[in-house]
Formats: sequence, structure tokens, C-alpha cells
Amino acid sequence: MARIGVFVCWCGSNIAETVEVSKVAEVSKSIPGVVYSVDYKYMCSDPGQELVKNAIKEYKLTGVVVASCSPRMHEKTFRKAALEAGLNPYMLEMANIREQCSWVHNNMDEGTQKSIDLVRMMVEKVKRNKPLDDISIPVTKKAMVIGGGVTGIQAALDIASGGIPVVLVEKESSIGGKMSALDETFPTLDCSQCILTPKMVEVAQHPLVQIISYAEIEKLEGFVGNFKATIRKKARYVDVDACTGCGTCWQKCPVKVDSEFEQGLGKRKAIFIPFPQAIPSRPRIDAENCLKLTKDRCGICEKVCPTKAIHYDDKDEFMEVEVGAIVVATGYKIMPVSAFPEYGGGQYPDVVTSLQFERMVCASGPTLGDLKRPSDGKLPETVVFVKCVGSRDPEHYHSYCSKICCMYVAKQTMLYRHKVHHGNCYVFYIDVRSNGKNYEEFVRRAQEQEGAQYIRGRVSSIYKDGDDMVVEGADTLTNSQIKVKCDLVVLATAMEAPDGIKQLAQKLGIGYDQHGFLTEAHPKLRPVETATAGIFLAGCALSPRDIPDSVSEGSAAAAKVLGLLSKDTLDKEGVVAIVNELTCVGCQNCIRVCPYNAIELKDICNRQGELQRQVAHVNPGLCTGCGTCTPSCPSRSIELQGFRDTELYAEINALAEL
Amino acid sequence: MQELVKKAKELIESKEVDLLIGYQSDGEKGAKPLFVKNTQQAEKLIFNQYCLNNLVTYLKRPDVKALKKVAVVAKGCDIRSFVMLLSENQVSRDAIFIIGMTCDHVVSPDGTGENEKCTTCKVHNPHLADVVLGAPVPEKIAKDKPVHYAQLEKLNAMSQEERWAFWQEELSRCIRCYACRQACPLCYCERCIVDFNTPQWIDTRSNPRGNFAWNIVRALHLAGRCINCGECERVCPANIPLMLLNQSLQEEAQEKFAWEAGYDPESQPPLTTFRKEDDEDFIR
Repeated sequence: MARIGVFVCWCGSNIAETVEVSKVAEVSKSIPGVVYSVDYKYMCSDPGQELVKNAIKEYKLTGVVVASCSPRMHEKTFRKAALEAGLNPYMLEMANIREQCSWVHNNMDEGTQKSIDLVRMMVEKVKRNKPLDDISIPVTKKAMVIGGGVTGIQAALDIASGGIPVVLVEKESSIGGKMSALDETFPTLDCSQCILTPKMVEVAQHPLVQIISYAEIEKLEGFVGNFKATIRKKARYVDVDACTGCGTCWQKCPVKVDSEFEQGLGKRKAIFIPFPQAIPSRPRIDAENCLKLTKDRCGICEKVCPTKAIHYDDKDEFMEVEVGAIVVATGYKIMPVSAFPEYGGGQYPDVVTSLQFERMVCASGPTLGDLKRPSDGKLPETVVFVKCVGSRDPEHYHSYCSKICCMYVAKQTMLYRHKVHHGNCYVFYIDVRSNGKNYEEFVRRAQEQEGAQYIRGRVSSIYKDGDDMVVEGADTLTNSQIKVKCDLVVLATAMEAPDGIKQLAQKLGIGYDQHGFLTEAHPKLRPVETATAGIFLAGCALSPRDIPDSVSEGSAAAAKVLGLLSKDTLDKEGVVAIVNELTCVGCQNCIRVCPYNAIELKDICNRQGELQRQVAHVNPGLCTGCGTCTPSCPSRSIELQGFRDTELYAEINALAEL
Repeated sequence: MQELVKKAKELIESKEVDLLIGYQSDGEKGAKPLFVKNTQQAEKLIFNQYCLNNLVTYLKRPDVKALKKVAVVAKGCDIRSFVMLLSENQVSRDAIFIIGMTCDHVVSPDGTGENEKCTTCKVHNPHLADVVLGAPVPEKIAKDKPVHYAQLEKLNAMSQEERWAFWQEELSRCIRCYACRQACPLCYCERCIVDFNTPQWIDTRSNPRGNFAWNIVRALHLAGRCINCGECERVCPANIPLMLLNQSLQEEAQEKFAWEAGYDPESQPPLTTFRKEDDEDFIR
């Protein structure tokens, strides 16, 4: 005989304001099977939980219904309390009379009636519940970090320092990311390469880190603690083990093409490393431009290679790695000038992006730090910086703020003035956002000590007048139209989600927003987690952020990974699907719809070992309890434990029997 | 006919198959199933435009499944249901010998004229058969749309209330004999949803609620699977136009997912597969 207890929570005034909680408790007593009911101000408080525990013992309850908030909030709390009192936790159900009732109604009578209905439904369900056991699953103590920029490097280093092996997957031929292309960094003006390369070397030398460069994720299977990733190692045409990185090949290669690393301002060869400090310092062949691969001519690199490391017949290779957790640190890209026809749209070489400007002033850049404008190599005497290009412009481009431009433009004005002491620089801005440690002081320094002239207003057009560029815009502080003649225009173009990020998110089964940035499980309380357990996020993959934030998040994600992988097994809920093998006909509907590949065919044999028939079989370790399989079964032969047909049917009927 | 009898004798004599399922005369001009176990019985085999039964439906029976190898005489349309059974893991290709019969058309269930389903047939010359008998039929250009019973068009033109009234009238005659289920080659569950009683989702009594639940569930379970053989409607003792429901769902499958059941055993049925390019305009 069922002995059910009903516990009605006020949630302070959250519920009690719209629901007559004492009446709900009183009426609950009349539901068949209910032997105890009570209302209390905060059921989730310690005394509230004690109330539940004591009642379970005193009234020998076989089931409990807590009428309070969403099970997402406190189901765990109460199920743990039930367990402590000796009741199987799955014999406790929650009736959500807050989110589904008090918060969406304002009529006391209706709210009370609906609460009673919800309680009655859950009482009928819990009467039919069956005790379930949690499932313990083993954990693969290895992690994968996707993206070898500074964020991914930090995450990999921190995970590896915790003793967990890491596979670091980078899509380019070297790790380092965008930071490796920057000149100096705000707000301390330390050289980007000088602070990044030690980290690159550290991660490369770490015995627990395996770097897989020029590779992408092909497929991901499995679940938290037990992922299996297939990595596509793109054809490099260079045997990285045989190659010593001597450099003979790229010195002799006759093909010159625009360098991506130099943002198109410099040249590279068809066999190349992106920059001298590349890690691994092994070249790859650009198959689109290599004469051997496109026209079957040349072949010089193969001839000059002292270690015979060049293989023109190289193919993409696939490798599988089993990992327990994944950090996605895929970074960003910036919009090219060609996206802005009103600003010259890429037709004027002297309108550049801020990343191009970084290369123009960088000592390791194509001009070795000599500032020359791209069109004629002239030293720019006047430079105009334009902020919020593509950002904060919901009508035309992106609604969001790219966050870092205010700071790096201030920095770039300084870099410019340090190169050209007599030069003029103007900054068109909407606001100056400098909310970080020492950031405001940094911007003030640019304005007050380094001579950057800030003009508040948007730029309407940029055009060429003879040798000069002309920037026309508004000065909204003096309410006037202004025209600035200059030699060089730098556009602080918006940061965007990188190409292919949606496809990657789909492969990983994680969410992304309308801009293509990956979405966190909770913007405040779970900022580096995804909705998929075991997959974490860090850095600009989430939204624009600066280096300190990205590095912090790399560490934060690493802490999450270490926490997850510190245990030998993971406990998961017993809410998994189960097959009735007597009635299953093996039609494979459930197998096809299962998003987790958790169901497979099982042979049923007779005593002679002869195959009689095949039925579906659920791997409880893989099953997440999503329930997709259950409606696909034509004969109701697969059910989700904890949500069985009998339980749900009783719940629905309780509502219908009014 | 000679070659059919000859082939059947050959299969039986060589013990290649334990049983051959074909057609025999019903004594008048019609045809009925024939189960051939010896060469003498094989003499009775016939094939003509009155061979309406979809004999593939016998392959789902446990006693037939228990045999090592079975031969079945099948028209192209019947083979489409075999293809579905294959893709749903219900038959083993090696356990079945298909004698495909070329077929210009069969008669309508009342025997008066050409069966409407034959006007859009793409398999006058059977696909996937182990042997094809009969003179090749020149492929005709099938109409673009699936068979559109004139009645279905009429029904679609009705208001919701009129349609409701129409089905109330039609389904009120259902006596819940489940002949539709038994005749359907794709209704193979060992425990049908209607026989499931913990809980009893479908009322088994012959009342409006139970009749609606049964007939709609039956049709929905065939969504994206029905191959238009028309057996359910043909065997219905109450003459309920069941194919109207099936047809309507078939059209949906074709329009929304460009899917026609029963041609390719490797392809995946639309309702249990996810494709990014699928039309999602039904999500509102």
C-alpha cells in the first residue's frame, strides 16, 4: 500500500502570494494514498529538508511529492534528503508550483486549484514509480583541447599540470593563434611574441601534451567521461617526424604567395611555416599553389630536403582519440575591409584592418617594423583610426560590441606615435570602453601623453584624393561635419565567430547563438560549461574578449576538466531506457533516432546457439535518458525508466479525472 | 505461366526452398494464395491481372520465418513492401527467393477496371527480384503526383467540420476485426499497440473513440512506410476507405522529405532519420 507524503513550499512569498499553500496541503490529504502533508516557508532550507526526512521515517513513507520550484532547481536537494532518510531517491517527485504556477498566474483561486492538480498528478505518478539505482560509468582520464591559441594553450597547460594527458588540436600548421601576430599588448605594452612564445614552448615540451597541428575534428561520439573523437590530420605533404625544420625547402621554393599570417602584407612560399617561432616548426605545402601538386612541375623541395621528408602523395589521415572531457577554444576571426564598401571596401590599399596594422608596426612583420603604408611605402604622417567598424551596428552588421577595440586602438595610437614622433593620429569613436585593470589609465595616457586625438562620431565615408586618403565623419561633440586628410586609415573591424564553427558545434552537439558564438550553459553561473556534459568553452569562441579574460577562461575550463577527471567513475542518473525483449521486433526505429548511439541490436539465440531473432538493446552508460526512442517504438517495447507509460498515464489521468 | 510452373518445380525439386507462395485460381476469374510444397501443387500456379494479393505479407509470419528458405511470387509493387521489410530488419535477404513477375496492371478490387495504383507504378518490371518472369513491360511515364484518389482531393477540399463528419461516418462501421492489420505486410509487431494494456492507450471496444484511435494510429505507424499496395482497404469487411489516410500521409512524406518507400533497401525512412536539409515548415 502506497504511503505518500506531500510537502508544500511557500518559497517565501514567491509561491505563497499566489497559491494558498495551506489549502494545497489540506486538500492533498484527501488524495488516496497520501498519509501526510504539510506546508512550510522554505522547504529547501535545512529545517525544511529535516521535515521531509523525519516524515519519511515517522510515517514510513513509500513516496514523496515536494510541491515547490522546478526540479531543475532542487530535485537533487530533496532526492538526497530522501536517500538520507532511507527512501530510494527516485521515489521522490516534484510538483512545480512556482515556475509553472505562481509565477505565471496572478489569481489566487486559479493558482491554488492548479497547484492541487499538479500535486495530484505527481501523487498518482509517484505511486507507480519504481526504485532506480544510479549508474556508475568509468572515466577516460585524458582531455582534448580544440584550438591552439593562447586560450587553448593555457587550458592544455593547466590540465596537463594537473597530471591529466591532453591532446591539443590546432587547425593551422602552428599553434599560437591570433596572439602570435600581435605587436605589443595593452595595457603594459609588452611584446606579444615575447610573452606568448614561452607558453608555446612550455606546452610543446610538456610530456603530457600531444600537439596535433593542421588537423580538425571530423566526428565526436560518446558522452561525458567517454568521448571518442576522430581527428582529421590534413595532408601536410611533409613527414613531421623525418623533417628537422632546417628551412632549406622554404628557402628554395620558387612560389611566392600572400602570407595569411602577415594579413596579406607580406609573402610566403608554397612550402612554409607561418612564422619563425612556429610550433611545431615543421612546414606544410600549400596544395593550391604548389607547382608540383598543381602542375606536376618543380619538385625542388623534395630534391633539396636532406631527410627525404617531402611526400607529394600525402593524404588526409584520421586518428581516433578517447578522452573524458573537451575544451573548445576555437577563437575568432576579424572582418576584412572588403566587407565595408562605404569605407573603400578593400579597393584602397591604404585602408587596413587593425590586425594588418599590427603586422605593419611589428618588428617581426614584413617591413621589420618600419612603418610604411601599403600603397607606396611612404611613412604615414597622419593616421585615422575608426572604431566600431561592423560592431554595435545592428542595422548593417553586428549588434554586439567587439570589446577589445577600444583598448587596442589606444595601444595602436601609442605604437604609431612611438614610431612617428611628429605624426598625427585621430580616433573616431562612439564610446571609450576601458573597464579593466589599468585600462582607463592606459587610454588616458594615449589621449593625454601620447597625443591621440579622439573625435566622437561615426565615419560616413572614406575615399581617395590624389595621394591622400580622406575620412569624412561627424563630430557629435561639436555637432559638426569634419574631413580629415590622412595617409593611412585603420579600421577596427568587428570580431566574428570563425569559419566552420557551426559545423564544429553540430559535430560536438553544443549550442551556438545567432552570431555563431558558442553558448554557455548559464551566462553567469556556468560560464565555461556547455549544455553537453563534459564539453567546456573558453575564450573568444564564446564572444569577443581580451587576452586576460581568455587566459582566465582557459584556466577556468581546465579547472572544470580536472574536477571532472579527478574521479575514477562518474555517477549518472538511473533514468535510462529499457527494452522489453519479449515484444521488441527489432525494427531499428529506436536505433535510428537515438542521438547518442546508445542502442544496438542484440541477438536472441536458442539453446543450440542458433539465432532466433534480434531485439534492441540499450547501453545504459551511453543512454542519457532523453526519451527520443520511446515514441518511435510502434509496439511500446522501449520505455524510459522513471517515465514509464504507466507512470505518465496515471499522471495524465489524474488531471483528466476532475 | 509455363515458365512460372517450371521455375517453381525446379525450386521445390532441388529443395532450394521449403515453401513457395504463389497464386491459384479462386474457381471463378479471380485469384487466391497458393502454398506450394511439392511439384504437384506447383501445377496449380497462375499469374494474371487478378492476382491482387500482396503475398509478401506472409513473410512476416513466425511459421514462415522459421523456414530456411521461402520463395514468393511478387509483383513490383509487392517487392516494394519486401524492401521495407528488409530495411526494417524483418527479413533476411538470403532467406527469401523472389520470383518477380512483370505486370502491366492489376484490376481494381471490384474487378471492373485497371487498379488506380497501377497508373503511377514505376516497377512494372520488378526491382530486386532473384528471377524475373514474364514479358518485359515497356516503362510508362508515371504521373508526377502519387495516385490521387479523386476522393482524396474532394476530402482535402472539405472544411474541417465536413471532414470530421465524413470520418465519423466511415469509421463508425469499423468492427475492430483488425483484418487491415493482418493483411498489411508492414504491420509485423508481435504485440500490437492495440493489444498493449499497461496502460491501455487504445480503447479496444468498437466505439467512436476506440475506432478513431485505432485507425489513426494504424495509419500513422505507416507514415513514410506505406507502399500503396491497398491490401488493408481491399480486405476491410466494412469497406472503410483506409487508403485515403495512407495516401494522405504518403503525399506528406513525398512533399516534405522527397521520400518514396520501398525502392532502395539502403535508404533510411524519413521519420526515423534526421537530415539538416529537411523542410521544417511544420514546426510553428
